[in-house]
Amino acid sequence: MKILIPLKQVPDSTVRVKVAPDGTSVVTEGITWSISPYDEYAIEMALERKDADPSTVVAVVTVGPERSRDALRQALAMGCDEASLVRAEGAAPLAVARALAKVVAEAKPDLVLCGKQASDDDQGFVGPALAELLGWPHVATITKVVPAEGAVELWREVEGGHEVWKAPLPALATVHKSEKEPRYPSLPGIMKAKKKDIPERPLDALGVDVAAPTWTVVSMEPPPARGGGKILRDGDAKQIAERLATALRDEAKVL
Amino acid sequence: MATATAETGFDLALSEEQELAQRSARDFAREKVLPRAAEIDEHGKIPPEILREMGALGFMGTYVPERYGGSGLDAVSYALIVEEINRACASTGVVLCSHMSLAVDPILHHGSDAQKEKYLPKLARGEWIGCFALSEPASGSDAAAMRTTARRDGDSWILNGTKNFITNGSLGNLAIVFAQTEPGQKHKGIAAFIVEKGTPGFSVGKLEKKLGIRGSDTAQLVFESCRVPAANLLGELGQGFKIALSTLDGGRISIAAQAVGIARACLEDSLAYAKQREAFGKKVADFQAIQWMLADMATEIDAARLLTWRAAALKDAGEDHILAAAEAKLFASDVAVKAARDCVQIFGGYGYLKDFPAERHYRDAKITEIYEGTSEIMKLVIAEEILKE
Repeated sequence: MKILIPLKQVPDSTVRVKVAPDGTSVVTEGITWSISPYDEYAIEMALERKDADPSTVVAVVTVGPERSRDALRQALAMGCDEASLVRAEGAAPLAVARALAKVVAEAKPDLVLCGKQASDDDQGFVGPALAELLGWPHVATITKVVPAEGAVELWREVEGGHEVWKAPLPALATVHKSEKEPRYPSLPGIMKAKKKDIPERPLDALGVDVAAPTWTVVSMEPPPARGGGKILRDGDAKQIAERLATALRDEAKVL
Repeated sequence: MATATAETGFDLALSEEQELAQRSARDFAREKVLPRAAEIDEHGKIPPEILREMGALGFMGTYVPERYGGSGLDAVSYALIVEEINRACASTGVVLCSHMSLAVDPILHHGSDAQKEKYLPKLARGEWIGCFALSEPASGSDAAAMRTTARRDGDSWILNGTKNFITNGSLGNLAIVFAQTEPGQKHKGIAAFIVEKGTPGFSVGKLEKKLGIRGSDTAQLVFESCRVPAANLLGELGQGFKIALSTLDGGRISIAAQAVGIARACLEDSLAYAKQREAFGKKVADFQAIQWMLADMATEIDAARLLTWRAAALKDAGEDHILAAAEAKLFASDVAVKAARDCVQIFGGYGYLKDFPAERHYRDAKITEIYEGTSEIMKLVIAEEILKE
């Protein structure tokens, strides 16, 4: 089975996000970039298939700026077999999906696994849009994939249990979580990745329509600073508990 | 922090694989080791799954060539990894330092092909842990005064004696043991042997109770008519002292990297605390007295790291690194001890409590001025190097 994972490079989750002086973007100079966490789960899920069946081929692709090459190298170091870069700056989500549809048509994977959303803009658009463009079955937010004769069983967590869906191949799923935490690149993996070529081409070379309905960011602002807490001191435990319950219901409105 | 100014001939940029190695070690240390550092210190034991995963990630054989089952990276990558693991937990860090620098390294550099093929793959994958047995109850810095003897008997050597302060001593599956084959010849009569755990006559004595790095085991090793095959002689007869010294030169780079890691823990924990804790109506970080401590820490850590990287880069280039390693270790260990002292001070009363990491850093930092050559020995080495011309 060949599995393709379109991934996105995003600011690392440890980065303290700052709004840029223009008020419509975040500061990206000098920050650490990472593979988006849900994409990492997708990679881990695919690599677990490869651990179980070494004939599995796992490929990654990204449509993004030159710096995304680091994310692809990291995916190779985790154990992916192939990686390629479609160079683009600020492409609209639909244009990204069209470019990926082209990559899928060439690479002919049996299964495409996308993170359910990227952790920077949280739109969750590209996965379903890509399935729509390909005309493939799409199952959202899966937690497990199990091969079945010419098809896959895709597990989803639902309230109090899970559902199992079956999709004929080729299919696309978006990933909520893998069974294990994503693996760290091992040093031997890093050295293996070093020897691999990451072919690159500009978005223009794919001949896809880059015009797409889009939006503009009007303004960005950090969340308001949190107010101070409140300490309930006077009274015995029962009285304090009553006042706590009242405060949670009437002031915090969480009960 | 690396900047590339290659055109000026001064290049501090890390390679892509060095950066990936650093990142892998940083993520692993932050997510898997740091949350357990207090427990490791408290219980005096490192969870075996942490060491297993470090083996699986290739850290235990960082610069062992791939043909011997290693990861095939270099000493600079190793210094990066050592800093990251020690940033999280100095006890876990020193297991790696002693294993790689003091047991794997001498086999890699002085072992026969047969010894390398037999031992390096297991060690590089972390299936076996190694240790280095040089110090004795009555000889630390003065290694030539050792009393352990090795007597030839047919196709074997018979070892007798006691080794002290052996890091990984009880954890280790293999020890590099130094012994006198010609007592009376002082350093000229010393030879090195590879001794496997389980060899009859080789036993682990008492475990030491320590001020810091409490999760790492420090043991006495006892050799009583311990019969070691002649094939396990490491290097030539009479070369043991040289092997010990050159091994320690490399080991000092890893202790320097450990000290940088401990100092970084002090700085990062101090920054987080000072930005959040308030006194007299403002953040502790707003007081200039605290800012000066933080500024000194940051500057000294950068300087210590650069000395460490330079020593590692010289080792990778196959150049003499005796002076560079001694300078790095002398300076970095001093930086770690000072950073730990200031970290406790910035935390104030909380710095004295076990509920916060500052007191652990304070206890862990001190050993870096003592083991693998005390600061006084580092100064002797440095003075000898700069005076010899």
